[in-house]
Amino acid sequence: MSSDQDHLKETDTEARFEFKKEENAAVRSGKGLTEEVIRMISEDKDEPDWMLERRLRALKQYHNMPMPSDWPGMPDLSELDVEEIIPYIRPDVDKREGVDDWTELPDEIKDTFDKLGIPEAEKNALSGVGAQYESEVVYQNMQEQWEEKGVIFCNMDEAVREHPELVKEHFMTTCVPPSDNKFAALHGAVWSGGSFVYVPEDVTVEMPVQAYFRMNSEGMGQFEHTLIIAEEGSEVHYIEGCSAPKYGTHNLHSGGVEVFVGEDAHVQYSTVQNWSKNTFNLNTKRAICEENGTMEWVSGSMGSKVTMLYPCTILKGRGSTDTHITIALAGEGQDIDTGAKVYHNAPETSSTIESKSISKDGGRTNYRGLVHIADGAENASTAVECDALMFDNDSTSDTMPYMEIEESKVDVAHEATVGKIGDEDIFYLQSRGLDDDDAKKMIVAGFIEPITEELPIEYAVELNRLIELEMEGSLG
Amino acid sequence: MSAGTQVHANLTEEQVREISDGLDEPDWLTETRLEALEALEDLDMPDVIRTPGRDWTNLHDLDFESLVDPLNAAENKDQVGPDEAEVLSWSDAVAEHETLLKEHFGTVVDPQENYLTALSTALFSTGTVIYVPEGVDAEDVAIRTEQNSRSLFNYTLVVTEESSSVTILERQSTGAEQDEQYYSGVVEVAAGENSYVQYGSLQNLSEEAYNFTVKRGVADTYATIDWIEGNLGTQLTKTEVSTTLSGDSSETQIVGAFYGHNDQHFDLDAKVWHRAEHTTADLVTRGVTDDVARSVYEGVQDVGTDAWDTSSYQRENTLMLSDESEADASPKLIINNHDTEASHSATVGQVDKEDLLYMTSRGIDPRSARNMLVEGFFVPVLEEIDVDELREDLEALIGARLRQRD
Repeated sequence: MSSDQDHLKETDTEARFEFKKEENAAVRSGKGLTEEVIRMISEDKDEPDWMLERRLRALKQYHNMPMPSDWPGMPDLSELDVEEIIPYIRPDVDKREGVDDWTELPDEIKDTFDKLGIPEAEKNALSGVGAQYESEVVYQNMQEQWEEKGVIFCNMDEAVREHPELVKEHFMTTCVPPSDNKFAALHGAVWSGGSFVYVPEDVTVEMPVQAYFRMNSEGMGQFEHTLIIAEEGSEVHYIEGCSAPKYGTHNLHSGGVEVFVGEDAHVQYSTVQNWSKNTFNLNTKRAICEENGTMEWVSGSMGSKVTMLYPCTILKGRGSTDTHITIALAGEGQDIDTGAKVYHNAPETSSTIESKSISKDGGRTNYRGLVHIADGAENASTAVECDALMFDNDSTSDTMPYMEIEESKVDVAHEATVGKIGDEDIFYLQSRGLDDDDAKKMIVAGFIEPITEELPIEYAVELNRLIELEMEGSLG
Repeated sequence: MSAGTQVHANLTEEQVREISDGLDEPDWLTETRLEALEALEDLDMPDVIRTPGRDWTNLHDLDFESLVDPLNAAENKDQVGPDEAEVLSWSDAVAEHETLLKEHFGTVVDPQENYLTALSTALFSTGTVIYVPEGVDAEDVAIRTEQNSRSLFNYTLVVTEESSSVTILERQSTGAEQDEQYYSGVVEVAAGENSYVQYGSLQNLSEEAYNFTVKRGVADTYATIDWIEGNLGTQLTKTEVSTTLSGDSSETQIVGAFYGHNDQHFDLDAKVWHRAEHTTADLVTRGVTDDVARSVYEGVQDVGTDAWDTSSYQRENTLMLSDESEADASPKLIINNHDTEASHSATVGQVDKEDLLYMTSRGIDPRSARNMLVEGFFVPVLEEIDVDELREDLEALIGARLRQRD
């Protein structure tokens, strides 16, 4: 590859992901986590009392919980000072009316998403698009044909107002209660924005629904909540993308995702995460699967300083299925601690976890997984496969799976391998005329192929591009 | 709160001095013991795996105050070896090899690593030292320990000089039937350059017993340490077998077999620390859980920054024979050098139904068919055991336990 092209690519990433905008805030909370801040957020959103009460309860739980500290090899969170994070920034758009015409957005926000390619993505056959800027969803659109079938795709704040019964029942109750972990409690207190997806019985949403999250302000926290309810026999694919520019201080992203997979329903949840390298990305994502339901998680984790993310599926109904496909890439100064959790709580359930990681330039990747097979989950089967590729000797790659098996009629298999790029493979490709860099790129592309083939083409291309850009200059 | 308070109440400096004096130990050793005793208050139980909501092994409920009876230790011990190597009782070793002890005691396993190693260091009253001089090939060193008291603290040190080799077989059993007992064993192996140590162990203590064991070796350049670890007895075992590959081109193999039935609980760790270039490790463990038994397996392959050209493999397979048993596993890979080929795998499953059907359709009664399949399951591990005697004994014990089943 010529150096001209290299140069072009670098400017391109800079332009696409790392530009900053002047802050455009209508409302901005103070720093820290006080009852006052929580009441202010709730008031600004004009929320019903029950939601405020839930927030305050979560805040109390947050203050009563210790930070996680005794995990073997856990990432360093000492630089994260939650009290210094600004939990809420509402950009200057009318949140109640919402905007469904792209041209009505304030120029600087529109520009941001234009640069990220959001409108193009929408044109390219998506069922609906939501875009969140700072703490609020600024743009939301759903194709009419889906609305007619009763599909709801709106931002979470709107869902609280328009669909209170559904939200009351499902919001941080059984799937991700605030008591689950410290960051879930934090999320329950300060959550803002996010998506609400409801798919009625037997409706198949054939094209993916997409949401994009962007953090722009320095030192802020983003806490979007995503709630997906897929009724019996329905099918939907939800995709989220995230990014933020680089700043000197630390940002915190602590999202919450709850997915309810009804009987015979099928939900795919795909994420391409490219937070800037000062972001602490500490999420709780969980799905509950009813009888014969299928949950699929596809995740690409590229950005952030620290990621701790273990999407979890509870296989509650007989015959339900879970698939995890994840790829993590850690470069300089990054600690990507990610994996998957599966609870087999019913008979005939099955799960597959396929995890790939790449570490380079001193980055650390860790697969941390938990497979739990409860007593009575007869004929459960699970297969876990982790592969790690290391580029240099400053990098680290760990694998820490945990398997808790309480039932005998099971089939449990875990496999993990770590290795460098094979000299023989490189030699082979070179002997076919490729230079060293291209040979390595080709090997990496082959390595991550199982992930990219699960994504819609634009995302697959983006993922490939991101990885290629991350790899730039680090090879050889 | 540390765990120390549990037992400390009935342990005194005088008791430790009495044990040490009885063995005619030099002052530095008495001091090491006393320091360990003093440290108890501040030390924690050995690490166990925790996942949300529980510790996989609960060591805190053990009533050490009633289990530990330091001045009444009693055992039957056989420690024999060929003439070329020195196989000494602890008191003989103290008398004849103080320099050797001073050089190695507590260097492989830190006496104050945790509460239980410190307890063992303060109170051990019996032990064996095996010294193999340069160039000597020593076969058939046997250490048999029969526990005849409430508690027994055992210490073993193996030192091999350059280009020597030794095969050691250790067994622990319980004498006249007693109620709850506590057995604690610390094994340190210092394998010199180009030496070979094979250390086999068969733990068949009473099923009322509690057992804590650390077996750890450090392998110098071109040295090999092979461990064979059979666990059948006790109601609770917490054991770690590990090797630090500190010399270039050193190697280790850890082969484990266990069979838990009734309400036995085995917490078995196999760990390797790659700390030099061109080192190789192979960890293989197979076991069965039956009735309401529980197995906890933690395997660690840790490749350090300087461990260039590492090969490291780990396999763990558990067969569950009953619905109520439980098998937990966590095989960990910690990789800090990219010039590494490492893999691990773990499986849990039950006796294959198709295999059973096949065998019964050939006229074998279901019970024999199942027994044959379980015995077959252990074959890959048994095949790794070079020592005929150990392999045959293990096979016999597994077979006998299997036939106890309905």
